[in-house]
Amino acid sequence: MNSKWLVAIGLVLALALAGCTAAPAPAAPAPEEAAAPAEEAAPAEEEAAPAEEATAPAEEEAAPAEEEAPAAEAPTIALVYGVAGDGFYITMEKGLRDMAAEMGAEAVADGPSQFDAVQQTPILDAMVSRGVDAICIAATDKQAMIEPMQRAHDAGIPIISVDTFIGDGDYENGPVTFPLSYVGSDNEEGGRIACNAVIEAMGGEGKIYIQNIKPGVSTTDQREQGCIEAIEATEGKVTLVGVDYNDDSAAKAAEQTSAVLQREPDLGAIFGTNLFSAQGAAQAVKNAGLTGLVKVANFDAPEAAIVDLRNEVVDIVIAQLPYEIGQKCVEYSMLALEGREDEIPARWPTGYVVITRDNVDSEEAQMAIYKSE
Amino acid sequence: MGAMWAWLFLFALIVVFSIIGKGFLSLTNFQNILANMSILAILAFGQTFVIIAAGIDLSTGWVMGMVSVVSAIVMTSLPEGLPLWLVVLSGSLVGILVAIMAGMVNGLLIARLNVPPFIATMGMFGIARGVGFLLSNGMPIPISISGLGRLGNGYLFYHHPEFGWSFLNQPAGLERAQMRQLLGVIPFVLIVMIVLLLIAHIMLSRTKFGLRTYAVGGNKEATLRAGIPVVSQLTRVYVVSAVFAGFAGIVYNLRFTNGAANAGEALQLDSIAAVVIGGASLFGGAGTVGGAMIGALIISVLENGLVIMAINPFWKYIAVGTVIIIAVLIDQARERMVIG
Repeated sequence: MNSKWLVAIGLVLALALAGCTAAPAPAAPAPEEAAAPAEEAAPAEEEAAPAEEATAPAEEEAAPAEEEAPAAEAPTIALVYGVAGDGFYITMEKGLRDMAAEMGAEAVADGPSQFDAVQQTPILDAMVSRGVDAICIAATDKQAMIEPMQRAHDAGIPIISVDTFIGDGDYENGPVTFPLSYVGSDNEEGGRIACNAVIEAMGGEGKIYIQNIKPGVSTTDQREQGCIEAIEATEGKVTLVGVDYNDDSAAKAAEQTSAVLQREPDLGAIFGTNLFSAQGAAQAVKNAGLTGLVKVANFDAPEAAIVDLRNEVVDIVIAQLPYEIGQKCVEYSMLALEGREDEIPARWPTGYVVITRDNVDSEEAQMAIYKSE
Repeated sequence: MGAMWAWLFLFALIVVFSIIGKGFLSLTNFQNILANMSILAILAFGQTFVIIAAGIDLSTGWVMGMVSVVSAIVMTSLPEGLPLWLVVLSGSLVGILVAIMAGMVNGLLIARLNVPPFIATMGMFGIARGVGFLLSNGMPIPISISGLGRLGNGYLFYHHPEFGWSFLNQPAGLERAQMRQLLGVIPFVLIVMIVLLLIAHIMLSRTKFGLRTYAVGGNKEATLRAGIPVVSQLTRVYVVSAVFAGFAGIVYNLRFTNGAANAGEALQLDSIAAVVIGGASLFGGAGTVGGAMIGALIISVLENGLVIMAINPFWKYIAVGTVIIIAVLIDQARERMVIG
């Protein structure tokens, strides 16, 4: 009992904190330009709300929105994210909340403390019970979450996949078709973009090493796969020396990378499949005095990654666009609630921005950085 | 005694990896292993006290992360231009204060309210995790203070074939190619680790506090009857564990120049494993920080050696798991010998 109360209080606090933060909305690139490198993924439509508008009065108070403004018929859009305390999902939630405020909808968000289907299911069920009008969900397991999401769908709630998918992600012809859309970046494509960028930085030949978090996570597995495809496309000019798993710990990533640098003194580049992987790898490179000689690519773009980029510890940062994913899901939810489901594409791939020291100060790169406030 | 086999095992590992592993047997690699294991070892030192007192502290990894975040916030919010030592000192002091609070809560729950250590520290596990993520908004906090990363990654001496020896600072104006030939000797974090090892060792083996820690773990009832204040002793043991976790968090900040709530997540179980491999008894009353150090070394040498030999990384889990089981079997065999 007590722990439930603690959790409840914690959630209220978390919502309050999330409600406090307001930021200008980044512009959304057009879908056909998705998964394009930085130079091409120029913002097509200026959907950005000015900062003053985003700071709705309800959000200035440290209290959940629903207590503040009980707008009579505003629909409630729920976000069930993959794991709590992750910058990627926090940025997505911000995009969702900002867009919801703009379109006159309420937003609620919650997610499990671990990236786990058993923990995520009751949260999804609770969203259904409280009668939300639409659900955006980052399913934590592409198989295990099918039934729970089907239940929510059968309760008459439009379901949209964000970030991750269920079934095979093909909601038109695949085994699972009830979700209206899958809004998210193609991680395999992202891995390919990342490794093409480092291969180019290496001069088209040499050895690459991959630092990954743990096996079995769909997104990072796909990034690894995409990178391997980019390596294979060089037809032997670039070779993969190995993949190691660091359990999402920079300390372990550094430990493993310094061992690899002992084994492969002529290593050309390292692909870190997330922030901590790249950070640990970069630190080992720096300690070996190889900064600049061994290129480091970092997947995901929180502020810390940008600091590493500016300090020349990391050479390439691949940014997904979580804020845009959140926005898009609200947009599609509203379309569904207006009965315009046929206007929603079954797949809307959000793109990537490749950030290097050359373009880090550009507006596009700045917009793509994950910010917590 | 329990640590005897651990020494032998470590020696065997080093011999095998040196023969088979390309690049394993070198000063640079050994220093890498020692510097990289420092955070794990510091966590394990604190855990040793708790395990000797027949408890367990499951919260150290997340307390470490919470302290990492808190001290990063302090360091980054201080006005610019302050001397580096003052920045690090302020961040550390506030961080350690937070660690002490976490340790106090653990200790009071366990010693005064008789909550089983497993449950009390699992509660703190969640609380520290939540606080760390709340304070950092779920994102690692970058600390861009010049010179900070050098504290965590620098060496006491540098040697270069052309420029000779230099103290504390790298020779100025090195070209990229010359950087590769630069050899650092004695990483700073190694010194931090050894100082903390000595402090923990002296506390355990030369003070009344240490004696009472063994006594509480060995036989709580008898200790109580002997007039030793068990409640306050146990409370302090958990504070010590949390403070070492705090030091681990601060070293993490210096080494990776950011504060992260999940900095210690992956190290939590490894640190308990290190203590057990080092011969501490989960029944309480036995163990040394030197043993914990050997345990951490075995885990780190395994990690390094298996990567160097390019062995499928999944074997590492099996290897560490096997070593833990062997360690506990030896511990139990010893227990039976004592009783029998």
